[in-house]
Amino acid sequence: MKLEGFPQTVFLRDGTPVAVRPLAAADAKALLEFYRSLPEEDRLYLKDDVTDAGWLQRFVALVGSGEVVSLIAERAGKVVAEATLYRALRGWSMHVGEIRISVAPALRRDGLGTSIARELVKVATRLGVEKMVIEVVENQVGARRMFRKLGFRQEAVLRSHVKDINGTKRNLILASTDVSHIWDAMEALVADFSPSAE
Amino acid sequence: MHKTEIRVGGLGGQGVILCGMIIGKAASIFDGKHATLIQAFGPEARGSACSAQVTVADEAIGYPYVKNPDILIVMSPDAYTQFAPQLAPGGMLLYESDLITLDDKLPKGVRAFGVPATRFAEELGRRLVLNIVMTGFFAGVTGLLSYESVEKAVKTSVPKGTEDLNLRAFHKGYEYGREQSAGKN
Repeated sequence: MKLEGFPQTVFLRDGTPVAVRPLAAADAKALLEFYRSLPEEDRLYLKDDVTDAGWLQRFVALVGSGEVVSLIAERAGKVVAEATLYRALRGWSMHVGEIRISVAPALRRDGLGTSIARELVKVATRLGVEKMVIEVVENQVGARRMFRKLGFRQEAVLRSHVKDINGTKRNLILASTDVSHIWDAMEALVADFSPSAE
Repeated sequence: MHKTEIRVGGLGGQGVILCGMIIGKAASIFDGKHATLIQAFGPEARGSACSAQVTVADEAIGYPYVKNPDILIVMSPDAYTQFAPQLAPGGMLLYESDLITLDDKLPKGVRAFGVPATRFAEELGRRLVLNIVMTGFFAGVTGLLSYESVEKAVKTSVPKGTEDLNLRAFHKGYEYGREQSAGKN
């Protein structure tokens, strides 16, 4: 699946440009290096073992099948952030997509996470995803703030659902944003109903 | 006074009126010209015949109805059959080339330009933006209005949150229109 409109340039808070584009098969090694460079505490909050070459192979295959959309941010030839959209291509939740974001520690609080997440939300909306969900651990304050800015609102809390690196149990927050109204408005606009008929 | 009469025709639900409205808005609000818009619907809006009449001029327009358009934009075979014979001789036809097949009923000297707008819209992710592809195609082929004014009119006419895809659709149609126009001139 080819995504239109990429590469995109997003800007960090200090004005530094960063290229964002869909992951290609040739990026697999660089992506693995990025994930292996993340601190262990960060990786604990990820659902998969992203340092495993087998995971990478499966991930790239899912990207190839269109089930997963992956955007990467690059700086100086290195992957510095990755945003993933997981969507079901069949079943009763085909309209729902799950978003996951990882940003290199050195570039956090620079706006990169928000920028790459925003690009992914745009892609998801274009692909027909009507509801986007995220899962964040309650102490991931930065991530929660970022998603709140993008319109995500808390929908559920799973108590003591996650154990952190010290064995402390944490609540997992499910948040979502419903974007179906955006395209409903466009559909209403092109419906060509006569204003005088209302 | 230089006056250009435009008719946009298609089916309800294709965004025919919005296409006409954007052209009129670009001309009158962003390009400093005068414009009028008249819209007509079939008995039921969605899926039935629908058309918009737009007049763009350098001066105030006294009569807004379009009988023999200089430019005809059609998005459905029925609209083509109904409106193509009314085109002014030497006029311009802009048509959805995957849906409409041209015949020999076009008035003399008409220049026809086709665009697979539905396909382009689907490739961009939403069939819904085919009217914006057609609007971009109109801007690219005719050059009647400035690129910036039509782009602004698109941006300010579509719902919040859909601007990105609509602008992409506009650019796609515009670029294709420029190519087609250059190929025929």
